Amino acid sequence: MKKFFVLLVMFFGVSAAWAQDLTVDEIVAKANNRSYYQGKDGNAKATMVVTDAQGRTRQRQLTILKLNIQEGGDQKYFVYFHKPNDVKGMSYIVWKHAGGKDDDRWLYLPAMDLVRRIAASDKRSSFAGTTFLYEDISGRSMDLDTHELSASDAAHYIIKNVPKDAASVEFSYYMMKIDKNNFVPMMAEYYDKSGKLYRTIEALEVKDIQGYPTVTKMKAADLNANSHTITEFSEVAYDVGLTDDIFTERFLRNPPQQWLKE
Amino acid sequence: MVNKLIAYALKKPKTVFIVTAFAVLVSLAAFARVKVDTDPENMLPEQEFVRVFNHEVKKEFTIYDYVVLGVVNEKDPDGVFNPVTLEKVYRITDEIKKIDGVIAYELMSLANKDDMEQAGPGAISFRWLMGPPPYSAAEARRIKMRALENPMFYDTLISRDGKALCVYVPIEEKNMSYRVAKDIQKILKEYPGVEQYHLTGLPLAEDAFGVEMFWQMGLSAPLAVLVIFILMWWFFKHVALVLMPLVMAVVVVIITMGVLVWLGFPIHIMSSMIPIFLLPISVLDSIHILNEFFEKYRTFKDKKKTITYVLNELYRPNLFTTLTTAAGFFSLSFAPIPPVQVFGIAVAFGVVLAWVLTVLLIPAYIALLDERKMGNFGVHEDDLEQGILSRALAAWGKFTVRHWKQVLWCSGAVVALSIYGMTHIEINDNPTKWFNKKHPIRVADKVLNEHFGGVYSVYLVMEAEDKEAQVFQEPAMLRYIEGLQQHLQDKGTVGKSTSLADITKKVYYELLGGDKKNNVIPPTAPAVAQTLISFENSHKPDDLWHFVVPDYSKVNVWLQLTSGDNKQMAAVVKQVEEYVQNHPAPFPVTYNWAGLTYINMVWQDKMVVGMLVNFLGSFLIVLFMMTVLFKSPVTGLVSMLPLTITILFIYSLLGYTGKEYDMPVAVLSALTLGLAVDFAIHFIERARAFYADNKSWPKTAEGMFGSPARALIKNAMVISIGFLPLFASPLVPYNTVGFFMFMIMLAASVITLMTLPALVTGFPWLVFEDKKVKAVCSCRNCVLMSGIIACTVAYVLLGYELARLNTTTIVCVAIVVVLSGVCSVVSRQKMCRK
Repeated sequence: MKKFFVLLVMFFGVSAAWAQDLTVDEIVAKANNRSYYQGKDGNAKATMVVTDAQGRTRQRQLTILKLNIQEGGDQKYFVYFHKPNDVKGMSYIVWKHAGGKDDDRWLYLPAMDLVRRIAASDKRSSFAGTTFLYEDISGRSMDLDTHELSASDAAHYIIKNVPKDAASVEFSYYMMKIDKNNFVPMMAEYYDKSGKLYRTIEALEVKDIQGYPTVTKMKAADLNANSHTITEFSEVAYDVGLTDDIFTERFLRNPPQQWLKE
Repeated sequence: MVNKLIAYALKKPKTVFIVTAFAVLVSLAAFARVKVDTDPENMLPEQEFVRVFNHEVKKEFTIYDYVVLGVVNEKDPDGVFNPVTLEKVYRITDEIKKIDGVIAYELMSLANKDDMEQAGPGAISFRWLMGPPPYSAAEARRIKMRALENPMFYDTLISRDGKALCVYVPIEEKNMSYRVAKDIQKILKEYPGVEQYHLTGLPLAEDAFGVEMFWQMGLSAPLAVLVIFILMWWFFKHVALVLMPLVMAVVVVIITMGVLVWLGFPIHIMSSMIPIFLLPISVLDSIHILNEFFEKYRTFKDKKKTITYVLNELYRPNLFTTLTTAAGFFSLSFAPIPPVQVFGIAVAFGVVLAWVLTVLLIPAYIALLDERKMGNFGVHEDDLEQGILSRALAAWGKFTVRHWKQVLWCSGAVVALSIYGMTHIEINDNPTKWFNKKHPIRVADKVLNEHFGGVYSVYLVMEAEDKEAQVFQEPAMLRYIEGLQQHLQDKGTVGKSTSLADITKKVYYELLGGDKKNNVIPPTAPAVAQTLISFENSHKPDDLWHFVVPDYSKVNVWLQLTSGDNKQMAAVVKQVEEYVQNHPAPFPVTYNWAGLTYINMVWQDKMVVGMLVNFLGSFLIVLFMMTVLFKSPVTGLVSMLPLTITILFIYSLLGYTGKEYDMPVAVLSALTLGLAVDFAIHFIERARAFYADNKSWPKTAEGMFGSPARALIKNAMVISIGFLPLFASPLVPYNTVGFFMFMIMLAASVITLMTLPALVTGFPWLVFEDKKVKAVCSCRNCVLMSGIIACTVAYVLLGYELARLNTTTIVCVAIVVVLSGVCSVVSRQKMCRK
């Protein structure tokens, strides 16, 4: 059903007039689904390049596997590091829980043959030293913020998102620019407690993959540190047939080779 | 030539004044574009290796200069770890971040640090060490316990006893630190309570010194002028005449500073000292003139005739004291320190300008005085002998002549004791110690260094020769660094050190379940890499890049010292050398130093050595000039005697009192030389003039202890007392200048009036040589000249080539031998055999 709907959107487009009839929560929900829940499952190769203030770069190359447990709700992720060479084999499993419950996260370090559960007090810590945060990778639960349509032009909705628990995050609010045609979030701008823009995430390239509009290149920038990370997704595939058992501790130690993209 | 100048000035005084006034106005106008530079780093040329390297390191490891805010709570049993204090710290940190020029993102405070801790079996958590307030008492204690667990925090951000914590406020530019500190103080006022707040750090000390120094300059110089005025008024009882030398001195200062600014030089810590140096030097010459004028006016009863006579009389000694002083300061331009060069040339310029104004402005000034109002001016020559000062000096003169042997023995003893004292001089400097002990920066420095591993940062940067091999992920290399840190800690000079090894160990044992027995470097390079990438999952992954570059080819070991003393820094450098020599690194690496504490050591070392070399140079130059002035190398050497004893004596006081030989002391050696030699020049010149008249030393001695001795003592009193207000300054270098002025004047005048008469009584030929014998015919003179020349050659060789001592020594010994041979041949010439 969901797939059919998406196809419909792709083929006929969405008229602005029709879209304006949507409530702001519906827009955010669609954008959220577009970003994180397309297909039943999926995998992709991700290449992340971090560039710091001095122009030095660091690279991470990984495979990301994703399985939806419930549309718009619980999800499971498997992240496997190919590069840098000395962290090859390092992997994460994330059991993402909707509705404000903390995610479960496990980390495997092959050099020490060590599995550790990460009990994060929040998800706004760095993703493996890149400018992306965990929350950017697995998605921020919609219920954590209040949403407000602050503007819209011919092509985009501009949504202001204010956290319900201000003390739990370092931003005071963030603005999201969502493409009216396909509900792909094109830009997110984060403002700090003093109201200064300090962080942006931007979709640089959107491709149609198996009928799903998919962001294949995105950039996160930290304006304070003057650094940024560009992530490129390649070999993106949806509905590949991942099974629930892959996302368990056993597979951390013995990664599911057939799904990995070297 | 000079007579023409004086005549012109007497004839057209108004023109002289208008031209001078114009020059003063132009100079004052130049001040509109004055630039101020209070950064002591500029003591080194910009392309100096240590500066370039420091700049690179700061950029590469994103290190900034810090203002350090310390919060101390001695009242609460939990120290600063009580809910109230922690909340204040959180809010203060938040507000400091908003100050312009503060790099909020890099601010180091408990309030923005991430913590990695155990969260149940097999689980770890990353969380902010200190979330937003409010805190419960239990939460506050938890924060304390966690912070004490983390090697990145204790002794750096919190004290081990929990009584104090520090906030490191990074600033964009060092020269913002004073302003930022003021802004922080404003914030602190809004959080009163039992907590004490302290602000310190080297950048702040340096910047604050720069700012306060200008205040002091504006306060001390006029105050010195005022005191000098009052003293001179008391001596000469005529306001208008007494004003003259002061007006001249001020004119000299304004024009010199104006020229400096006009040429585009910034006013540096050094050049701000120019007024305080030029004032006494300018006043000095005019006091001689004023004294003569005062004593001779009654004889001539005509101001123009009197001044012409006086200026002719004093023309030679004044010219030569000017030239020697100028030479002394000009020689500073050979120092390898740019601001010292500027300073030396500017003071030399000012000294020459002072002489020019003496022969132009003073006659012009006197020409404009109303002769009718001069009626009571001056003293009758007969009255002169009646004053207490005159009688005391006369007695003094008789004493030295009668007991010349004892006086010389005493001088010898003073020299011996002085040399002994000088061996105890400690060479050391520390910009924080430029403030006196009561200054808030000094107090903060003391308190915080007691509580913490030290607020003085130095960075030891190691670089692998193989850039590709990720050497600093190798466990052996990390263990090597760990060993070095242990070595430094055992030695005790370094209060705290933090490195990549510490981070690795901390994350590793937390990953392995929090057992301290695993507080070791992981066994393999991949294990290190994976440990560190785990750290990168925190809220502040960038903290890692302060300690290592992303390709793991360079590391930065952050050392904290409890004192900014050069001595301590030098000791640490030596300890590291020791370790590196005795422990070959597992991979080929090189190391270098960065950080303000290190830079200070480098430039202060250069300064001390440079000043010493310069001093020797100017000593030789002055000796050479004396030889020319007195047309005899023997007399030249004699004239250097009082100043040599003076310098030995003053510097030995440093050894005896434990005052350290620092930057201001080093600079003052040039002043000591320039001022002390003046007395000898005046003494010998006047003595020769008297002797030429009466051909009798006893009569000459009596005359010498009349007017010339009075001028000398008045000079000494005016300058030494005039600079006493400097003792009240909260800035130590000003106290030092005051002390030196006082001692130079006191010691040099007494020593000159003791040793020279005593020496001449015993050996009159030293000063009064038979003019009929040609200089070259005296083998003794010739050999002495050779010696002086050889020393000069040695100095030049040493100074410019920094050649090994042995080559230079051989060259100079050879020169002396050859020249002595020449002397012996030359002095046997026919023309000498008469």
